[in-house]
Amino acid sequence: MTDLDLVLGDVRRGMVPAHIYNDEEIFRLEKERLFSRAWLFVGHESEIPQAGDYVVRRVLDDSFILSRGEDGQVRALFNMCLHRGMQVCRAEMGNASHFRCPYHGWSYRNDGRIVGLPFHKDAYGGEAGFKRKGQTLLPAPSLDTYNGLIFLSMDPDAPPLREYLGDFTFFLDYYTRQSSSGIELRGPQRWRVKANWKIGAENFAGDMYHTPQTHTSVVEIGLFREPKAEKRKDGNTYWAGNGGGTTYKLPHGTLEEKLRYVGYPDVMIEKMKEQWSQDQLDVIGRDGFMISAASIFPNMSFVHNWPRVEDSDDVLPFISIRTWQPVGPDETEVLSWFAVDAEAPEEFKALSYKAYLMCFGSTGMFEQDDVENWVSLTNTAAGTMARRLLLNSRMGLLEDGTEVVPPLTREQYAGPGEAHVGYGEYNQRHLLNRWADLLERPAEKVSQVEVSGVPADRAEAGA
Amino acid sequence: MSLDTAPTGPKAAEERVGAKPTGNGGRYSAQSRLGGHAPRTERTGRALPFDDPRHLQAHQWMVEEAYILDAQNYEDWLDLLTEDIHYIMPVRVTTALTAGFDSAPHMAHFDENKYSLSRRVARFLTEHAWTEDPPSRLRHHVTNVRTFATPNEGEIVVDTAVLLYRSRGDVREASVISAGREDLLRRGGEGWQLARRTILVDDSVLRTQNLAVFL
Repeated sequence: MTDLDLVLGDVRRGMVPAHIYNDEEIFRLEKERLFSRAWLFVGHESEIPQAGDYVVRRVLDDSFILSRGEDGQVRALFNMCLHRGMQVCRAEMGNASHFRCPYHGWSYRNDGRIVGLPFHKDAYGGEAGFKRKGQTLLPAPSLDTYNGLIFLSMDPDAPPLREYLGDFTFFLDYYTRQSSSGIELRGPQRWRVKANWKIGAENFAGDMYHTPQTHTSVVEIGLFREPKAEKRKDGNTYWAGNGGGTTYKLPHGTLEEKLRYVGYPDVMIEKMKEQWSQDQLDVIGRDGFMISAASIFPNMSFVHNWPRVEDSDDVLPFISIRTWQPVGPDETEVLSWFAVDAEAPEEFKALSYKAYLMCFGSTGMFEQDDVENWVSLTNTAAGTMARRLLLNSRMGLLEDGTEVVPPLTREQYAGPGEAHVGYGEYNQRHLLNRWADLLERPAEKVSQVEVSGVPADRAEAGA
Repeated sequence: MSLDTAPTGPKAAEERVGAKPTGNGGRYSAQSRLGGHAPRTERTGRALPFDDPRHLQAHQWMVEEAYILDAQNYEDWLDLLTEDIHYIMPVRVTTALTAGFDSAPHMAHFDENKYSLSRRVARFLTEHAWTEDPPSRLRHHVTNVRTFATPNEGEIVVDTAVLLYRSRGDVREASVISAGREDLLRRGGEGWQLARRTILVDDSVLRTQNLAVFL
């Protein structure tokens, strides 16, 4: 039996009980208290550009149809027929004006409203028995977007997404707003790994310490010039709002030279200069930091790297967005998308896609070695010995809690939140502290939706 | 009618580019943003009889390649590939019967040319490719081989089914990947070489920790 208070207390002082990476009871609490509340990324508006376009995405065990209605609005509809509970959409993507349940033929518009109910009059006596008007597939309790990124929350009283993301939006713009048109999202590649979902989120949030070791091979083959140890420790690790990430320190030069250094063509640089605030531009141009990996609590991550994709000295940047979708305490479905600025030149889009495939995703050469580690870790965390081991996640802190290096000052760093140069596990602690905050709060009672229900004292069901 | 004289499969004659293929082909290579360099040669007619020398050579080639991939002799494998190879493995998606597509638009697992494949192989030659150190035990089971002529004398198209068994360590469940492949083989100075491979994996969600190995 896990003593939750003890576990959360240990996590908060940076000592991580190893079993939290493979524990049925912890996973049950995560489902009940964390994934029932947090904002979760499910897709991007560019995946469903036309009226009627849809994709089906899960939030743990719940299937949602992300559908663009004839009115152009994006909705998230719980993929369950109001009659007997059958899935109304069994495809993963497509275009449809209606969804018809294959069981009894109830049908719904792509905005969720019911339109077809066979034998409504004969079976129910029409509206007197079943009020068809106003019935819709259950919408997600909360839905909101930022830069076209679609998030759901299972909490109907979730704070607005902007508030939840907080100052991390400053960094989200680097990944998803390089021009006024924003990104196009392609994919996702989907695969299941026998690893706990938290490991990937922590790694992408702030584990710049693993890069020189885990990813040695990609430097040796000339794919990526940056992961060398000395390059990583010059970058900063930042946390702002509800997310954080790592950066690389770029060689001296102007803003334009720095963006060219990672492979952006001038036509894209000009658009970035129009889109981004002076502070956003200063983080790169003045302070010399280029965003790399990042995570938003709880399970969404980003990558921005600039490998060599052809036999030349040129590098080319790519962006990946992914979620670590929990399947069980020891299994995660990775959904990994490739993102590219919608206004980028076609040749850039093609080569950036190639850069993504070579580095990340199901075949990516960085990712291959990451997952090997995470599967192994999860496997080892299952036993009784892992319950006796508290992992030290205090890198960057002295025993008395003072920091090994002070945070960057406003003169050194124009970004929001807090940033430190050098090795540290600041962001892993930020993520797990948020995790602890949610896990200690018992779940609220959820309200129910009755489908054309009647008051309990009037029901004569089963007569 | 004896099997010896029967024409090949019932639908083989209807196969053409653009129609719903009964083989493992399709427009995936031509539609890829990275497929511009790829050969466009397509199959013609019915599958060759199993005693046709070209079929026998193709079958042997597939078996020899499977042993090379099982042994992870990747430098030898690279020698089997033409300089203009396109090696593509689309991301399969579940779609309605009438949707007209079965893979994610503009996204694949592999979408490789000779350079990117050579980088993947070079990585295995470093001592730091942890995902295959210790190496997986691999078995490529290759079956359902059929061979087609093309408009070009020196090129043939080969359909195969492949089942890859991949076992790592001692306690993890092995992963199994089932796929159909359509290959374009081209005759060169030293025998047949692979000029295009389309891999139609049979899962929309892969059940393997990565695709560090080749199909």
